[in-house]
Amino acid sequence: MTTKRGALYLARLALVALVATACSTSSTSQGGGSTGGSTGAMRTSMSEPAGAGNDWTTYHGSYQSWHYSPLTEINPDNVKRLKVAWVHHPGRSTRGLQSTPLVQDGVLYYTGSYSRVWALDAATGKPLWSYFPKLNDDLVAAQTHSPYTRGIALGHGKVYVGTVDGRLIAIDQKTGQPAWDTKLVNSEKLTVGFTGAPLLVKDKVIIGSQGGEWPGRGPIFGVDAASGRKVWEFLTVAGTEESKKTWGNDSWRTGGGGGWMAGGYDAETNTVWWGTGNPAPLYDWAGSEWKTTGPRPGDNLFTTAVIALDPDNGRLKFYHQELPHDAWDFDSAVGEFVMLERDGKKLVVHPNKGGHVFVYDRKDASVVNVWQLAKHINFVKGIDPKTGALIGRRDLPLGKHTNLCPAIAGGMSWNSGAYSPKTGLYYKIGQEWCMDLEVIKTTPVLEPQAQLDIGANFKLRNPEGDKAHGHLSARDPITGAKKWEVMFPEPPLASLLATGGNLVFVPDPRGMLRAYDAQSGKEVWSHNNGIGHNGGIISFAAKGKQYIAVATGWGSLVGDEFGELFGEPYKSMPKDAGALVVFTLE
Amino acid sequence: MIRTLTLAVALSLGPAVVSDEEASLTGAQIFASTCGFCHQDGGRVAGRGPKLAGTDRPDDFLLNRIRVGKEGAMPAYGRAFSEAQLRALVAYIRSLKDDAR
Repeated sequence: MTTKRGALYLARLALVALVATACSTSSTSQGGGSTGGSTGAMRTSMSEPAGAGNDWTTYHGSYQSWHYSPLTEINPDNVKRLKVAWVHHPGRSTRGLQSTPLVQDGVLYYTGSYSRVWALDAATGKPLWSYFPKLNDDLVAAQTHSPYTRGIALGHGKVYVGTVDGRLIAIDQKTGQPAWDTKLVNSEKLTVGFTGAPLLVKDKVIIGSQGGEWPGRGPIFGVDAASGRKVWEFLTVAGTEESKKTWGNDSWRTGGGGGWMAGGYDAETNTVWWGTGNPAPLYDWAGSEWKTTGPRPGDNLFTTAVIALDPDNGRLKFYHQELPHDAWDFDSAVGEFVMLERDGKKLVVHPNKGGHVFVYDRKDASVVNVWQLAKHINFVKGIDPKTGALIGRRDLPLGKHTNLCPAIAGGMSWNSGAYSPKTGLYYKIGQEWCMDLEVIKTTPVLEPQAQLDIGANFKLRNPEGDKAHGHLSARDPITGAKKWEVMFPEPPLASLLATGGNLVFVPDPRGMLRAYDAQSGKEVWSHNNGIGHNGGIISFAAKGKQYIAVATGWGSLVGDEFGELFGEPYKSMPKDAGALVVFTLE
Repeated sequence: MIRTLTLAVALSLGPAVVSDEEASLTGAQIFASTCGFCHQDGGRVAGRGPKLAGTDRPDDFLLNRIRVGKEGAMPAYGRAFSEAQLRALVAYIRSLKDDAR
């Protein structure tokens, strides 16, 4: 079958660089038995992992963070025949379903709110097993950024999931029985736990704690995949003696900085790339005197930074702090590290919440370029594209400030864009909104504690001379040159998907799942899922057919702004619903 | 910091000695640390969370809602705040002028 051959060819292209080091799940024998494994029809050769290209085995689609499926069966010519194949309701979708599913050998795994994990037959949706961890309900009730779980990791015959009460759990991939359950964060003291997906690298499961505006030290953990034993812990706040000096008055004790999204992995250099959260308190009354005074004097390393870690021991190799002394909550926690090559240079592209996209040399995180994705930006006048240095910072002293752009919700959010090696284009959502705020001198927080540390009152607003909105653009990922753009009345808050069939899928906030021609940006299909999207989307093949799976459901902290800012349908959109909806060609 | 703040609040908010004005000043600080993330413009307008200025909810309702929260919408702060801090927050909310009224 041509489509299969095409898919496999592309799979080989896309994966050839990865195969040797891709999740070692690839070498485990899967399929058969009660898991309803794939037919094997799409297997390329014994030297490649079963299901390469058919599967989606990591949160970002691959270690390269492309959010790209090489499958070609669904394309702009036949996408009109795309219909719902099956739906799965996980129940208790508090704050919507925000996760990205994974697929391996005909089985789809995903997690709902409260870290409930499901294994389903990927072709039919038939449940194979489920695992609902028992959580500390009192703690969950005290959390702000909860109870969603955004993803899982697969490998060594196990499914790995973090919990909002600070545990990392491994579940047997075939039976659904827990293999180990390791408490990593003292969530009872710090309130925060895990909401992001783990990243499996060789024999380590790597996961970062929540905690930008919470007064902790944002650790990232490396855990032995076989036993659940914690092997290393890297503190994103003052994780080295040198970096401790960038926090005046012992403010490192409560610096925030959680790296709460899964990052990427460069196998060639054995380097994990991870983005870190903002420092606490979010807003700093010191204003332009931030180097010497205020609640956290200094650069505040390694908050709002990209850090490169050795996955074997958690040691810091190098880093780049995108916003020294972040005074705006424009963190670097976005987990997307799009790895590319151009002109013989190995590069990685990383979006920063403030609305700029950073391009780094993968060998040392030196800045290759910085380009602007969001239009309304005035927290800096610019960022030097050669050095990454901030030009004309708008620091915010005590008192009132108007029209700070972007708003706290960012010029980009945590949801991932997509890169297609076929078009060479990077597809990414930008958010346009601003806010008025009043910075208030609060009592300095000196010990970790169980509450947020913000330091301002604020409200979102339209940018001056414009209306708040969002956009999807297709760009050269290195230069930022724009090929096409589609405007949205409200910013889409879900991740994107690019496919080898020359399509880009955008799950939009009103509830429409839209498909665009990846070359031209022409909308070629849409479907109403009946509620906003705020999670992931993937493509996979099972039993010889290509599928698209998308998480539905509304109610993230960014989405919570929409009711007041945009009115309906958001004012009446439920925040306790969400399902997994899976499509295929009829 | 909880210890420090609790002590300060306990000293300044002893049941018999505190004025509404003092309590609302302390409440304003706590609010800007923790509550303003959702109750925007210091609770004066609706945002992620509802507007609080001019609320017709009784004190007991407000105290209870801050303590136990609301699933999927508002965190429970019963563990984080002392009784004096809770009362200071309510005093702050009561001090807000409701321009829309």
